[in-house]
Amino acid sequence: MASETLVHSADSVDQHLVAVLHGKFEVAPEHIRPEATLEDLGLDSLAAVELYVTLQEQWQVPLDDSEANTGLTVQQVRETVRRLRADSASEGGTA
Amino acid sequence: MAGTPPSTVAITGVGLVTPAGTGTAATWEGLCAGRSTAADDPELAELPVPIACRVPDFDPHTHARLRQPWRFDRATQLLLGAAREALDNAGCDSAAWRPERTALVVGSAAGGIGTLEAQHRRLLSTGPDRLSPHTLPAYLPSMAAGHAALALGVKGPALHTSTACASGASAVITAGLLLAAGHCDIALAGGSDAMVTPLCAAAFAKMGALSRRTHDPIRASRPFDRERDGFVLAEGAAVLVLEREEDVRARQARPLALLVGHGTTTDAHHPVAPDPDGTGLERAVREALRQAGAAPQEVDHISAHGTSTPLNDRVEAAVMRRLYGRQPPSVTSAKGALGHTMGAAGAIEAALTALSVARGVAPPTANFTAFDHGTDGIDLVTDKSRHHSIHLALSHSLGFGGHNTVLAFRAA
Repeated sequence: MASETLVHSADSVDQHLVAVLHGKFEVAPEHIRPEATLEDLGLDSLAAVELYVTLQEQWQVPLDDSEANTGLTVQQVRETVRRLRADSASEGGTA
Repeated sequence: MAGTPPSTVAITGVGLVTPAGTGTAATWEGLCAGRSTAADDPELAELPVPIACRVPDFDPHTHARLRQPWRFDRATQLLLGAAREALDNAGCDSAAWRPERTALVVGSAAGGIGTLEAQHRRLLSTGPDRLSPHTLPAYLPSMAAGHAALALGVKGPALHTSTACASGASAVITAGLLLAAGHCDIALAGGSDAMVTPLCAAAFAKMGALSRRTHDPIRASRPFDRERDGFVLAEGAAVLVLEREEDVRARQARPLALLVGHGTTTDAHHPVAPDPDGTGLERAVREALRQAGAAPQEVDHISAHGTSTPLNDRVEAAVMRRLYGRQPPSVTSAKGALGHTMGAAGAIEAALTALSVARGVAPPTANFTAFDHGTDGIDLVTDKSRHHSIHLALSHSLGFGGHNTVLAFRAA
């Protein structure tokens, strides 16, 4: 059974991801589910890199766009962003 | 087939996206009203010439039917806007055509240079990590045709022509040749440029090519006028649908006009200045008329290149005086109203000339007040449109590199 879409998530990373995927990549919000791959959402290889560049810029996190590919799931992307944000927050905290 | 006469190329639809508005109706109406579209341009505010003509109301989602339009340079967006309208007007259903027998030829001077400039600024300011992977697919000059072929379902030849400001006219000629030679059954020909960018505006200013009437932008572009002092940079696009005349008649449609001749010559005189004798342009006109089987005195109307630069307009007027003498055809320049849309201009003016033939209307040249000794002796349409029978009309396009291109249209 398909999991919930991210549309109603209260999590700020989820909300931002939905905003980018829907706003910039014009993905229907109901399709943005954790198990969906970027390919499932209609993103090609260039669009996957563009997504990473966009998130990198908007979150100011060092996402490595050489790892961007259409097989990544929404869940994987959001976990990567969360981890990098946590890393940068802790670095900031100890600075 | 041996012995078969070459087919006549018919124009069955046009689409226009210009500084006068999106759509043929908006452009025609603005042109006939003699309204200049030049204005202060915020993006150019810090530059020596901060005025330009922009397309005011273009929505790439609606007009170009594009998803994720940020993937495309504005030149490609404008092109697709024009293409959608042209196909609708031609009554041409892309779902019904044979993709492999459909061609697309697009002229532009600078491809997606706005994208290239923006991404270069990004590279310098934030480094390579922030560069868009769409930089080259959006910039490469051939990609307007590539993207449009994908969007429209064109699987025959998809070519790019670049002859500077004659590029759009070269595209019409190339498309006509492909069609007449039987390489396709439908050919879309267009021109598109979006060069209202800081780099292009600064570079043209450095060449002394732009009007410096920056305190009065709406009067800056004034083709053939004695106080002209340069062109006004503009953006835009046009697409023409070309079909063989017999195919058009078979589907009981009526062409706007017939493309009955064309001439292409090169000055080999100077990198950017036209030959002051205008012999290259005259040869192009004579070749177009030869193909049309017509004498100069049969020409009823000319859409001049008419850039509003001192030299271009003088050369062009001299050639027209030599060719037509005391029986001059009506002459107009769309650039008084629309500015200079660069590689799009040849296609925009080809479309407007086809409309002039179809409607029997010569639109006015905006901002004209008086000739000087170099430009007089032509029958320039000024102030308001002139209604008269137009059986044969020419469209002139000249470009850096010494390119001279002339299209001849006959009433269908």
